[in-house]
Amino acid sequence: MDTLSAIAEPNRRKIIQLLAQRGKLTASEIAGHFQSSGPAVSQHLQVLKEAKAVFVTHQAQKRIYSLNPEPLHELRGWLFDLTNQWEQRLDKLDSMLKKEKAETNPDKSQSRKGRKNGKKS
Amino acid sequence: MAKNHEAQFEKILDAPKDRVWKAWTDPKQVANWWGPDNVTIPECEIDLRVGGKIYIVMMAGEAMGQYKGTRWPMEGKFTKVEPLTRLTYTARAWTEGQGPETQIDQITDVFFEDLKGKTKVTIKVTITNADTAPKAAMAGMSYGFNQQLEKLAKFVAAKR
Repeated sequence: MDTLSAIAEPNRRKIIQLLAQRGKLTASEIAGHFQSSGPAVSQHLQVLKEAKAVFVTHQAQKRIYSLNPEPLHELRGWLFDLTNQWEQRLDKLDSMLKKEKAETNPDKSQSRKGRKNGKKS
Repeated sequence: MAKNHEAQFEKILDAPKDRVWKAWTDPKQVANWWGPDNVTIPECEIDLRVGGKIYIVMMAGEAMGQYKGTRWPMEGKFTKVEPLTRLTYTARAWTEGQGPETQIDQITDVFFEDLKGKTKVTIKVTITNADTAPKAAMAGMSYGFNQQLEKLAKFVAAKR
């Protein structure tokens, strides 16, 4: 399987993204980001390794994965693309404003005290 | 491939317009949300007037492993400042210490719209100039992940 076909699968794409962001991760760190079973994740890692999308180095008992920058060179820009950046940015702005609202409106977070005479918000 | 690439992003924020405007124009607040996960904002300057400077540096944090410490500055000028309504700037972004192939020239146009006490923010980004690799990335940027990958796959395949 060539690199691009290998990373067309959503879970494997997610692994590539994780590695692009983190640099190096052990197999279990990668598995920690998935709901699916460890073996399923290892299988994806195996495919990525065979497609030369990732490198594997061994350290003690651990297998450490990193991106093979060669075939993925063209993908680098894409991994850090604007869509990702703006989506994350707007999510962070949103949570910053929400947090602030919760802090300045303690009334709302204490609704269990049940002031019923106010208007429904 | 078209010369310009445009993308649009929208979000409804649960805060009044003046609050959202402030979050966008106060450098301390911008630094709080501008960087993606694992990225810090060591420098942030906003001179809020037409012709004024916008300068924001993103820096890769610990968790980004091999990229740790990499700085991605963006420097530009405001071309429109319409309080509580619209903010436009032209800027170039690049990877510090790397060549012009990492540079992306862009126009960012931000609109603020009141929705009964909430605020709809619309961001229009136009890439006016970029080298091959970022351009490939931008080509599909207004679409989802899959379309992007598909376009990129074709682009890479065509280069072989």
